[in-house]
Amino acid sequence: MSHDDPIRPRVLAIDDSDLVHRLLRARLRHERIDLHAVRTAAEGLRVARETVPDLILLDIDLDDSDGFKVLAQLKADPVTHDIAVIFVSASNETMDRVRGLDLGAVDFVGKPFDVTELRARVRSALRMQRLLRMLSQRAQLDGLTGLWNRAYLDDRLRKEVSGALRHGAPLSLILCDLDRFKSLNDTFGHPFGDEVLERAASILASGRGQDVACRYGGEEFAVIVPAAHAEEAAGVAERHRARIEEVTWNERPSVRISASFGVADLTCIDGEPTPEKLVAAADTALYRAKTTGRNKVVIADPAEWPRQIAG
Amino acid sequence: MDSNPDAEARPPLHSAYENDPDLRDLVVMFVDELDRRVDAIREAYLAEDAATLQRISHQLKGAAGGYGFDPIGDAAARLEYELLHDEAELSALAERVEDLISCCRSAVPPTDA
Repeated sequence: MSHDDPIRPRVLAIDDSDLVHRLLRARLRHERIDLHAVRTAAEGLRVARETVPDLILLDIDLDDSDGFKVLAQLKADPVTHDIAVIFVSASNETMDRVRGLDLGAVDFVGKPFDVTELRARVRSALRMQRLLRMLSQRAQLDGLTGLWNRAYLDDRLRKEVSGALRHGAPLSLILCDLDRFKSLNDTFGHPFGDEVLERAASILASGRGQDVACRYGGEEFAVIVPAAHAEEAAGVAERHRARIEEVTWNERPSVRISASFGVADLTCIDGEPTPEKLVAAADTALYRAKTTGRNKVVIADPAEWPRQIAG
Repeated sequence: MDSNPDAEARPPLHSAYENDPDLRDLVVMFVDELDRRVDAIREAYLAEDAATLQRISHQLKGAAGGYGFDPIGDAAARLEYELLHDEAELSALAERVEDLISCCRSAVPPTDA
């Protein structure tokens, strides 16, 4: 069974009948899917949690379990919650179908299978799963630059800070603000401003694999630099700064851009480190970069720890 | 309960999918295993084991049609219905059981190409 193969969706079939499994395998042979068959509800739940397939074909009439209960369990568990479930039922009772659909199944198929119908419903459910996955990914991405968005940053930073504190590991944050961005926009128009953002973002995104580049605001970016002290993160920021400074446009040879950078790590913080304080420390450093010439990297100075932090 | 030799002989029952290349081998397997299922049905009936009878008929109801044997599936469905709605009188099921058994016996594998 292949994992993480975007071309072959994974389908898990839970049915206690060997007859049915043989049929499924034969009927779905020409669909480009990886089919995994199990005979019991318990094994089905275990495999679903471990492999998180794209689609589950669930027999409601399992011999030793209540299929509806299994469906409810799949939907209650955050790990398996988003897996599409088609339930298979020999029952013609409308109430059973309603019940299954209300419990969160996306579709149902009657037993015995109508071949073409089964294949079509499987394809339809897999199509929908693909779209849902793209959608949830997009919800965490910034539309213009493709970087992680602010919501993702907040969530991720929280996790990184608590992880770093738990393991006693270093953690740094870089805040980056494009210099004189507003006047660029005013002079050359917003479409060009967008281009500038995209160029800067692609530079920030092409850093080290473990760094997390996010769009923080209109012309502001944040880069989470795990497992690094401020000095090391400042080196990363300096590389970004230099590359941004070198950006040119063929059509506008006179236009040059630059960015200012503020860098802080957890030791720059007074008292108990929190994500908010880390951001505030980097922000203070960024402010100093802006007010002392721009186009530079400044590391937060613990001595300058702001007394009042905006809530 | 023995099958009545004078009972109306059923015509051979072919699978609707016997010429389907995807299913052909499975149909052969299915027909092959029907003997075993018939024995199990008879045994369960004679032992008045309603639970087993119900399980077998339920399985056949759900699968036989997929192998192209709708009549077997229908006969199994009728037996299961009786079992679920009239459990008290097992002998009243004799007709349904006989029906299913003779239906199964009439099934024939695909003729060799």
